Amino acid sequence: MQVSAFVDGELPENESELLLRRMSQDAELRKEVAEYLAIGRLIRAEAGLAGADRLHARIAAAIDDRPADADDLPVPSTASRAIRPLAGVAIAASVALVAIFALQQTPAVDKLPVDTPAVVEVVPNVDGQQERQRQYLLNHTETSSQLGANGMNSRVVTLRFSEEVSLDEDESEQPVVLDEFAEEATQP
Amino acid sequence: MRKMLPSFTRSLWLVVGFGCVSGPALADKLPRDWLDQMGAAVQSMSYEGTVIRIKDGSAEALKVVHTVKDGVIMEKVVAQEGNGLEIIRNGNEVHCILPDRKSVLVEEWNDQSTLYSTLPSSEIRFGNEYDVAIVRKDRVAGRDAIMLAIRPHDDYRYGHRIWLDTETSFPLQTQLISEGVAIEQVKFADIMLNHEIHASALEPSYSTENFTWLRQPSGHQGTVVETSWISDALPIGFRAVSTHEETLQDSAEVVTHILFSDGLANVSVFIAANSGKQALGSARVGGSNSYGIELGDFEITAIGEVPAMTVEQIATSMRQP
Repeated sequence: MQVSAFVDGELPENESELLLRRMSQDAELRKEVAEYLAIGRLIRAEAGLAGADRLHARIAAAIDDRPADADDLPVPSTASRAIRPLAGVAIAASVALVAIFALQQTPAVDKLPVDTPAVVEVVPNVDGQQERQRQYLLNHTETSSQLGANGMNSRVVTLRFSEEVSLDEDESEQPVVLDEFAEEATQP
Repeated sequence: MRKMLPSFTRSLWLVVGFGCVSGPALADKLPRDWLDQMGAAVQSMSYEGTVIRIKDGSAEALKVVHTVKDGVIMEKVVAQEGNGLEIIRNGNEVHCILPDRKSVLVEEWNDQSTLYSTLPSSEIRFGNEYDVAIVRKDRVAGRDAIMLAIRPHDDYRYGHRIWLDTETSFPLQTQLISEGVAIEQVKFADIMLNHEIHASALEPSYSTENFTWLRQPSGHQGTVVETSWISDALPIGFRAVSTHEETLQDSAEVVTHILFSDGLANVSVFIAANSGKQALGSARVGGSNSYGIELGDFEITAIGEVPAMTVEQIATSMRQP
């Protein structure tokens, strides 16, 4: 519960501080957080809002436990691009999807203690890639619509708010993940 | 893989298509007349109903209310599943209401697209790359409809099937077709056309008094530019229709955006400095395909509502002479 709340940015500041410290000493806990992060990415097909990037940098830093600068954002790396294929992941150009990301992630940044020691982590730049794809799709849709085209289907896509993640990426695990995640998220 | 249908096959298909339609009034009207009237209907008519969207074997329902008053689009779309999201458009201002999170996201939409937008104007659409035909009479959402098919001549673009209301030419159902199979479908389950829309029907279903209001930055801003970038293997029928320089929100990075169109299908090519932020290879993005490559100091991404092979060919054929 505490871990999921932390990943969701719902953990109070003092508890986040404690959890971050525990993670630096507890391998099992680090693993648990890593799994939740992966779950969240799958469920939300996350976009890389600046706030979200910063949060991920912080969490990834705690997981890997390597010293560095708190203000560092995920560093692009050539190798990272292959870590999670975008194929099959439906990155909806959804205004509402953006809203969900913003609501889930941005408050979490505010809650994180600013002076918590953090570490540099070369994390996969998937978030940045997805955000880039999202922006490209939005720009494409807007520009195309000026021709009077694409409205019938693409606008419906933009109205989608649900997190469209291709089931063929991990069909066996996703339903379980969704249930567990929902249950955790609704607890006070 | 079908690359090009023999012309006699296309002609036969057209003849068979017209032959299926009975009644002089329907047969007298040309397919393009229907599409022109559809464009006018979508832009001017008020409607209210339930839209079903089917894709990849799953369906979602949306309640839609739409009207235009004094040239201002007003629309309300309510998801019937999930968290009850509501999207309310009043002119260019759009409110996305997330009741479960007690929040409202406010956006500016610069484009004119609504749930149903028009096809491109007749002067730019359908070169020699598509056949347009009336296929048959049908019934959709309890109304008489006429089914039109827009069929591409090759595999570089998708086809469309459109069911138009016989009385008003309003699109009651649309399908996106790939190699004869519907890959996406949007249809009204029920609809009321041109009836009076009360202001209350466009108001939020929830009291948003205590909701958190968030303003999202407005859409992208572009500057028209000329570019030396070209595609040396552009699929037949496509041509560049606009080139802009645009600033991305995530990085303030400036990218070149070239829009290619065959009059119906559109493909955008984005050219950016190599930053590692671009996904490489093929990707599905919503209902679109994209393909990204690195070329020297640049990252090139093609994206559009076209088959994967089309965006790949366009992305990999971009050159700067």
